[in-house]
Amino acid sequence: MMKGKEREITIEPITRIEGHLGVHVKIDTEARRITDAYAYSPMFRGFEIILRGREPFDAVMITQRSCGVCPVPHALASVTAVDQVYGVSPPPMGVALRDLVHGAEQLYDAEVGVLNLEGPDYSEIAVKKFNPEWWEEAQKTKAPGSDVHGFAAIADIMTALNPLAGELYLRSLLVQKAGHNMASIFGAKHPHVHSFVPGGIAKINLSASDVESYLTLLMRHVAFAKELVTVTDDLLDFVLEQGYEDVGARAANLGSVGAYNDPAAYSAKYEEMTDWARKRLVSPGVILDGGLVTTDLVEFNVGVREFIGRGWYSSEWEHEVEADPLGNKIMKEHPWNKRTIPKPGEYGKWESLYSWVTATRWWHWKGDGKNHVIELGPLARMWVTAKAGLVPESTGNSLKFELPAALIPGFKYAGAMEFEWKIPEKPNAVERIRARAYYHAYSAYCMLNLVMAGLELLKAGKADVWTPYEKPKEGIGFGAIEAMRGACSHWCVMKNGVIHNYQYQAPTTWNASCRDPEEKPGPYEEALIQTPITEAGESEGWKGIDVVRAIRSFDPCLGCAVHVHIGKQIVKHELLPFAVPL
Amino acid sequence: MTLEEINLIWLEGQDCAGCTISIKQASNPTLIDVLTGAIPGLGGLKLAYHPTLMFEWGEDAAKILVDAIEGKYDPFVLILEGAIPEEAKAAPGVYCVIGEYEEKLLKLSDTIDGLSKKCAAAVAIGTCASYGGIPHGNPNPTGAKGLLDYLGKGWKGALGLPVICIPGCPPRPDNIVQVLGHAVLAARGIAPLPELDEWHRPTYLYGSTAHELCPICGFYSGGVDAHAFGETGCLGALGCKGIITNCNASTTWMDGYGGCTRTGVPCFGCADPSFPDTPTSPFFAKAPAGPFIKETMKGTWSHMMMGLARLHRRKI
Ligand code: SF4
Ligand code: SF4
Repeated sequence: MMKGKEREITIEPITRIEGHLGVHVKIDTEARRITDAYAYSPMFRGFEIILRGREPFDAVMITQRSCGVCPVPHALASVTAVDQVYGVSPPPMGVALRDLVHGAEQLYDAEVGVLNLEGPDYSEIAVKKFNPEWWEEAQKTKAPGSDVHGFAAIADIMTALNPLAGELYLRSLLVQKAGHNMASIFGAKHPHVHSFVPGGIAKINLSASDVESYLTLLMRHVAFAKELVTVTDDLLDFVLEQGYEDVGARAANLGSVGAYNDPAAYSAKYEEMTDWARKRLVSPGVILDGGLVTTDLVEFNVGVREFIGRGWYSSEWEHEVEADPLGNKIMKEHPWNKRTIPKPGEYGKWESLYSWVTATRWWHWKGDGKNHVIELGPLARMWVTAKAGLVPESTGNSLKFELPAALIPGFKYAGAMEFEWKIPEKPNAVERIRARAYYHAYSAYCMLNLVMAGLELLKAGKADVWTPYEKPKEGIGFGAIEAMRGACSHWCVMKNGVIHNYQYQAPTTWNASCRDPEEKPGPYEEALIQTPITEAGESEGWKGIDVVRAIRSFDPCLGCAVHVHIGKQIVKHELLPFAVPL
Repeated sequence: MTLEEINLIWLEGQDCAGCTISIKQASNPTLIDVLTGAIPGLGGLKLAYHPTLMFEWGEDAAKILVDAIEGKYDPFVLILEGAIPEEAKAAPGVYCVIGEYEEKLLKLSDTIDGLSKKCAAAVAIGTCASYGGIPHGNPNPTGAKGLLDYLGKGWKGALGLPVICIPGCPPRPDNIVQVLGHAVLAARGIAPLPELDEWHRPTYLYGSTAHELCPICGFYSGGVDAHAFGETGCLGALGCKGIITNCNASTTWMDGYGGCTRTGVPCFGCADPSFPDTPTSPFFAKAPAGPFIKETMKGTWSHMMMGLARLHRRKI
């Protein structure tokens, strides 16, 4: 649709993401910039409705099925919430094995994200088609890390990313299998792990040989991490040199809930959460305008507010939970109170209600009292961890760690390697992808440490995987852990032994959020507005490669982002185009 | 119909992409073996449409579906992942849109209506696509259905085959790739047609219960029950539904790793048509006692006979 110099493009479906997502952007074709953007989604399943009245444990099994790409963080956040609801603390080995399953998933997910989902946008076929001048340049530019990954020129890396044909694309499909194998050792299967139970993990005949099988497979990821990071650095530095720093850029307002529990510290108890969450190997925290304002997971939880914003919902629910177990005031928009009440509206009314995604904001209740637009994801959590100084690898402006030597046939670099991920100037499409690659290496490093912790526990005879409990009648719980694409949080209120209210947020619930009551756009929208268009050719022929690259850098998982519910209500208008995935 | 080249059109409805992730883990053969034509007899397959794996997006992607409905992708196999919502319930809105073409929304159900008239065969991957699965869970807010129910048990594709179901949440990786591969070999007359049971599952993979195949079933027959997670013994007292669920994932998951009961996890019945409602849920509730009692009655007599039979020396 052309309006003077403005062109509106709707892109649906955005493929190579999990779930259903569309974006609607307005582009000033003369200035080659996006002037306005709306992200939405078109599928609805109704998970939160289905959960009501069921056993809290059943949520662990059901909620992970909102995403087949990253089920484990849902299972882990859910089982943490249910640990709290049932009042049970798992034994250290139970915690360590849950961590190992989680790490296994992150490893595969990072490889697939960078090389199979995002990589093809920078592949030879994409670049030749959309940025032909880059291709010329890429053929002439030597790849600085070729001794590690074996590609002589940047163009060779691009060729290796061609979908279903390129070497990196295909090798990633093979290597990522090791992540699923590892997750299956203690999770029984993956996707959708079945061993996470309140109080620990269901694993019989646990022995050192299970841990050693895991370690053997882990070493393949350790070897691959060195190639993955080097290849990603080479490619992305080249892309930045072509003037790509503003694509997908937004201010540094970031959040993390942390990941990889310390088996000795995790007690599941809400009252002790500040402490055990700070001992996670990936730190929790919030960054506002580049400054770290908290590392307290309790403070994070209390600050979560899910506004209806420009979403098709009503906010008429009761304010049932007024304080958390520590006595902190809980707002009406907090997920312990929030309900999902649909109020469907017409499709494409960008000036009024337009989305099934709500507007989740973080309320800085101990600070300026404002509601902030927060981005989640590997870039956010690396940034928080690098700044927080809670782990020895954190330097205040970078994360430094080393992966050991591993001579494995089929992998190109056998030596040990030092990594340093540095906080970039600003969040943008390129840095999100780079952070994902470094998070792969950091996860491999964390898993090596956790394998050692697991073996220590076995040596000390602490092989118990589960703590028995008596299920109470009432309870409340909050569980949160980092999924590949950002924080995954679950809230459960149990009454009379069954679920009274269950709410959960995938990272995409935050990242794909719509305009809030103050008219502030969500992170995807912010990242798109002002994004320059580098796509070659006349505007009539544009396919929106820059839009797609900006959105895919967040690694969307719309399957989980949209809140459910239509219930008995009838959608009144002609179209209800997007999905309501939860 | 010439079958040298076969297009695969893989739709995602009310899904989580878990079945797609699962098929990528297959080993015997791998997805790459199949797509690159490395297996004789399986060459000539083209993944014409797959929302998570394809390069195209937006209208370029949606156009493939529009063209396929017009017969431009014949012969093709329709593959569905995820359930189909009842759009009439959402009317005049919609529950599941899979694309937009020339300002017209492509609803999942309309697309399936169009494609099912042309496709050579239709395969439902996963419990959602087969029988409705999680979206179909009580109170089924969107009126979700599986393909079997949607097209009906009597529906037949151009090759004369009914809907083939591969249940599991998701199904074991090798199950998916083997059923798809086998269907192609059968269509080309290289392998026999797969035998399907009443739930349209291929019997060579789904003919036995998770319990019959259970690697720790020896504890059940030995009379050892586990009463805590982590304790070695039959998991029936902890809620195992293996005795009422046809599934081969109790054995291993992939490449010899994992497997539900083998790891120590009760079967939660995720491949059963009833999943996630009773009798598979509540997931910690015990399976109905009937099948266990029947098996024990029959088993006690047989055990005695089997024991006695072992007293006789074998004439070899
Ligand atoms: S009840 Fe479950 S654990 Fe027990 S023998 Fe049967 S399948 Fe195996
Ligand atoms: S839970 Fe049961 S049905 Fe599901 S994969 Fe495991 S063995 Fe099969």
